Amino acid sequence: MGPLIPNEIIPAEWNSIFALVIGIAFGYILESSGFSSSRKLAGVFYGYDFAVLKVFFTAALVSSIGILYMDYMGYLDLGALYVHPTYLKGALIGGGIMGLGFITGGFCPGTSICAAAIGKIDALVYVGGILIGIFLFSELFSRFEPLYDGGFMGYITIMDAFEISPYVFVFAFTLLAVLSFVIADIVRKRVKKVVY
Amino acid sequence: MYNRKLAKLLTHSYQILAVILILLAGGLLLLPSYEKHEGIEPESLLANAISPERYISSDELAHKIISGDPSILVIDVRDSERFESYSIPGAINIPLEDILDEENEEYLDQAAYEIVLCSDDNFYADQAWILCNRLGYKNLRVLQGGMQDWFNSVINPPQPDEKMPNSEHELYSFRKSASMFFGVAYEDEVKATPPAPKPSPKPKTVAPVKKKKKKMPEGGC
Repeated sequence: MGPLIPNEIIPAEWNSIFALVIGIAFGYILESSGFSSSRKLAGVFYGYDFAVLKVFFTAALVSSIGILYMDYMGYLDLGALYVHPTYLKGALIGGGIMGLGFITGGFCPGTSICAAAIGKIDALVYVGGILIGIFLFSELFSRFEPLYDGGFMGYITIMDAFEISPYVFVFAFTLLAVLSFVIADIVRKRVKKVVY
Repeated sequence: MYNRKLAKLLTHSYQILAVILILLAGGLLLLPSYEKHEGIEPESLLANAISPERYISSDELAHKIISGDPSILVIDVRDSERFESYSIPGAINIPLEDILDEENEEYLDQAAYEIVLCSDDNFYADQAWILCNRLGYKNLRVLQGGMQDWFNSVINPPQPDEKMPNSEHELYSFRKSASMFFGVAYEDEVKATPPAPKPSPKPKTVAPVKKKKKKMPEGGC
């Protein structure tokens, strides 16, 4: 049956409308969970607030477990879902830059726009920085191109790359997540409380 | 009293959620494996199989070929030796064992033609029909009775005697003219100068429609 749009149960023209609705809902929930505060987001690096880790880990778990069950019961064709292509070299370097930007700026790109929408000045500066970065990257694209296309490994997942069953992987991932929540809580209790 | 109990339970809400997540993920490991069903649903395959639309009679096919129906495409599933010795005019040859080859998919999986599968009788054609139908190909039909029926009714029609109803005579005259169309000569129809034998019709050239590969859904963060 699913995915609904690639299987043309819902016409493809609805794509943008769903994107708008989901985007607004996503931004609203980010804001109302306090993710528009750069201090809360940076807390994960300093150990006084692990909400980011918990929220995104839980979201990944809920969706992956749900998708696997739906695939098993035949409501969703796992093979028809979009898998982001893997450019290993680019992803490693880009991930490093993104992490650096996260810890210094206190936002990730999505939350910065969310915070800019409610008028946070640091977020507005951050978004300005993103735009400058995009401009520089586009202008110097021919320089960056080997890195951009480097280490292409195709549309693979961890399950394909290591040839493990998705069920085993998701179970291990769940255990890892719960373990990381427990450790995060221990760390948070030891670190001096920060009022923000 | 009741509320206090509930409140006490809810102080452990994170632990409860963690346990639920682990249980759900652990449940994935316990799922019994099963063979995934590919192709069309068994119910629709059965519905297609018992549909009278599945067969086309020799007369109907002859009528379509004579009237120049451009949508008809005859696919002969016999081996190439038999195909070359005789086949229905305009037919193309895809032997049954090659029916699932990738290069033949373009002929079979399309919407432009009404495909008529034929073999000596309809058994091999039926097998080809089942295979292709299971894959979800559309517009497939089987020549009822195959080449034998084609030969016995269209090419060499049995002559009805006087006692038979008029419809039989009309059918015979249609079949007779059809057979003449396909190159059979009758003594009583031959004029003083027999017409030059028609050049054997070339196999229909079909420009297979290149199927667009299903577009990769685009997405990302």
